Amino acid sequence: MIENNYDFNNKSSEVDEITEINILYDFYGGLLSKRQADVIELYYEDNLSLGEIAEQLNISRQAVYDTLKRGVKLLKGYEEILKLVNKYGQEKQIYKSILLLINTLEVQLASNIGAKEDYINILEDIKVKIEEIIDI
Amino acid sequence: MAVRIRLRRMGAKKKPFYRVIVADSRSPRDGRFIEEIGYYNPISEPEEVKINSEKAISWLKKGAQPSDTVKYLLKKSGIYDLYLKNS
Repeated sequence: MIENNYDFNNKSSEVDEITEINILYDFYGGLLSKRQADVIELYYEDNLSLGEIAEQLNISRQAVYDTLKRGVKLLKGYEEILKLVNKYGQEKQIYKSILLLINTLEVQLASNIGAKEDYINILEDIKVKIEEIIDI
Repeated sequence: MAVRIRLRRMGAKKKPFYRVIVADSRSPRDGRFIEEIGYYNPISEPEEVKINSEKAISWLKKGAQPSDTVKYLLKKSGIYDLYLKNS
């Protein structure tokens, strides 16, 4: 079996758009109309073409296009105001660094490496990180 | 029967992950598909695309139509060139 692996160093706008909209939809999808949600799911989750969606929903291709544009515009508009995706991303990064600090502390305590001050320093770092989350 | 190669989203909320599937174009949403030939994970670092080139080329030769996105991924991973050379 031949497998092709490809690491995307420079992200592509085309596939990125799909992921971006999917994540926006996860956050704000509930605010769309049923029709808008249907079209977005078919387009971005099931990767159907406009023509295929038109056939599925028994509406014109133009109607699919308009609904899709409107839906995406709404999702992006919600993000612009609420910034939940952005905050989620920032928080995720900080939580990851807190986990890393806790792991370090755990290893040091378990193996008795480091002095009391080292432990306290790590705890201080964790406190700083938590402050960062509170400030987001 | 029109056969398409397209992505299908899997994965939990806020963590999209896609399978590359071969499916009948007439039943896009019933969850059935003919074969899974790879996946695309945009969240992993670095993001990862894995497509079985043998299967992909075999389906393309049979006339399966890739979605624009899948076509893009096939081109990016060099599989599409391989297909053009082989046909």
